[in-house]
Amino acid sequence: MKKFPALKAIAACLALAVVAALGASAQANVKLTMGSWRADDVAQMNQLLAAFSKKYPNIEIKFDPTNPPDYNAALHLQLQSGIGPDLMYARSYDTGIQLFKEGYFLDVTDLPGLKKVYSDLARAPWADAAGRSFAVPFCAVSHGVYYNQDIFKKLGIKVPETWEDFLAVCKKIQAAGISPLANGLADQWDINEVVLMNVMPNFVGGAAGRIAYENGKAAFNDAKIVAAFQAMKDIAPFCPKGFEALTYNDENALFVNQKAAMYFDGSWTMASFKDLQFNWSVFAPPPPKGSKGFVTFHPDTGIAINPKSANVEACKTFLKWLYSDEAASIVSNTIPTGFFPIASNAAPIKDAHANAFLQMSKSHPTDVRFAWPKIMSGNPSGYNLMQDGAIAVMTGKMTPKDAADALAAGLAKWYVPGK
Amino acid sequence: MRRRSKTRQDGWGVWLLFALPAIAVYAVFMAFPVINSMRLSFFSGSGYSLNNFVGFDNYVRLFADAEVSKRFWCAFKNNWIFFGITMLVQNSFGLLFALILTGKPLRGRAFYRTVIFIPVTLSVLVTGYIWKLILNPQWGALNILLEKMGLGSLALPWLGDPRSALAVVTLVSAWQWVGMPTMMFMAGLERIPEELFESAQIDGAGIWRSFARIKLPLLMPIVGIVTVLTFVGNFNAFDVVYAMEGANGPPDYSTDLMGTPWASRTWGSARPSPP
Repeated sequence: MKKFPALKAIAACLALAVVAALGASAQANVKLTMGSWRADDVAQMNQLLAAFSKKYPNIEIKFDPTNPPDYNAALHLQLQSGIGPDLMYARSYDTGIQLFKEGYFLDVTDLPGLKKVYSDLARAPWADAAGRSFAVPFCAVSHGVYYNQDIFKKLGIKVPETWEDFLAVCKKIQAAGISPLANGLADQWDINEVVLMNVMPNFVGGAAGRIAYENGKAAFNDAKIVAAFQAMKDIAPFCPKGFEALTYNDENALFVNQKAAMYFDGSWTMASFKDLQFNWSVFAPPPPKGSKGFVTFHPDTGIAINPKSANVEACKTFLKWLYSDEAASIVSNTIPTGFFPIASNAAPIKDAHANAFLQMSKSHPTDVRFAWPKIMSGNPSGYNLMQDGAIAVMTGKMTPKDAADALAAGLAKWYVPGK
Repeated sequence: MRRRSKTRQDGWGVWLLFALPAIAVYAVFMAFPVINSMRLSFFSGSGYSLNNFVGFDNYVRLFADAEVSKRFWCAFKNNWIFFGITMLVQNSFGLLFALILTGKPLRGRAFYRTVIFIPVTLSVLVTGYIWKLILNPQWGALNILLEKMGLGSLALPWLGDPRSALAVVTLVSAWQWVGMPTMMFMAGLERIPEELFESAQIDGAGIWRSFARIKLPLLMPIVGIVTVLTFVGNFNAFDVVYAMEGANGPPDYSTDLMGTPWASRTWGSARPSPP
């Protein structure tokens, strides 16, 4: 009889130990995957995620990026077939909202501290019309004009202040036998996103101007839009020889090899300019004479949670950590060069060139890329209409007025202003 | 003898048994997807939740919607041009190479045959990319060569000009696949009995005569097969355009083939690209 209690005790201890062991191993085994379109940023992101795992040893996150152009489609397919990642990069505005509507993003509005760290304005790109957040804002990208300081110095050129100055500078560089601009048309997306969207706020009057179009107070083929397309026509003669067939990579190579003096592009490209043999910097796209200058500072990346994930709580833990005060400096130092944190508690960035870029968006009023907030996801998409228009204007297939009319006519098919 | 004829009689079941694996593979991987695609074409939405039966609505849009049908007919027209140039260039050169390789004893015959056939074995993505580099307006070998020869005015942005892009893409495709018709024509030419040429020679027929009167007529079945295969291949083509120009058929939709509008639709034409 006496033996039984002892046995029981032993059995109980064993059972407890097994449970504890199981529990512990389950804790240590929370493995999450994070989907992304930034295949170039694996090293930096792994650094960031390692810092997180140091704080939370029981959670391990694997950064698993997709080829950028395929990301939207691949992610959609994964989510539909139930094999989506636990955490994933979320596009801002319509592309993200669509996935939220379809129930593939978890509502994160009520994550503790979210509203404190991110203003309404900062959260808006990843929130639906009712203000529900579907992703935690992560980083923004900026746009500008890279320029070769050595060439500018040699030719005695100053950074242009107005669009008219800019064209004069282009002419001067061309006369010296160097291609003024590096941009081309072959990959299509870049002429739209890094040139047209880059200069657009200058011609339509920034955010207020854009909202006037979106609310139907201004017509999509008014004089300002025509002027923006005219700007595309203006720069065509200053693009490299054969620019119709130059790809995004070619453009980069032209600037890097000093065959082109200036390059319209986004801040993300500066990561590839690390070891250049010449001095370079960046200036804000110059506004037409008498207008105010704007910088396109675009909310680019949010991070969303897959509601079907087996470890939603661990995902929330990560996102809360991501915008916590203690992670702020880690984020600022590991965030890929050319991307800028959005959180209000963000720590300063160390890279000098990145800071120069960031300074531009602090000294200028900013707006997002023109096509993103409202006119993107319809048929035909405002994005495509602007892209086709820009290319047609630059190749002389359309006049700026035609391109603006085509934009207005295309949008009239589906876009209801003020919706 | 008796045994063999017996197996032939009750062979139906056995035959079927042997054919079964092939039929199964064909049914699962060929027949089913084709029939299912036709079924899916009557629905709208993503294809995962099939609750949106729309009848012929998709077809009505394809042919009646001004924007969509414009793209479709443009792709249709381009595909015929693609087919025409391929027939003319790829298959004529294929025949020419086959005639040379099977004609008079030629030194290094195996070598030439291999050289002509090697591009067929390469991935279209690889050859497309290499040609894209060769045709690059800034540092492509072709334009540098033209400039060195004093023909700088001919150094065009080949892949960026709507007038030249489709022809250039087609020629690259023809360059890559010319080995196929060459092989088929060679096989056909080698099966023509030698006696025919001998007697023709005795009758005084020259090279051209023996080609026009003997080789070509006897090759006609092969010409038919090559034409059919070229047609099927060309109207399925997508990869070469994707590798050299992108899924949207740039510039200005001039390289859109029947395959590309579907691809750019599938992958989202309103696709904001990196970053």
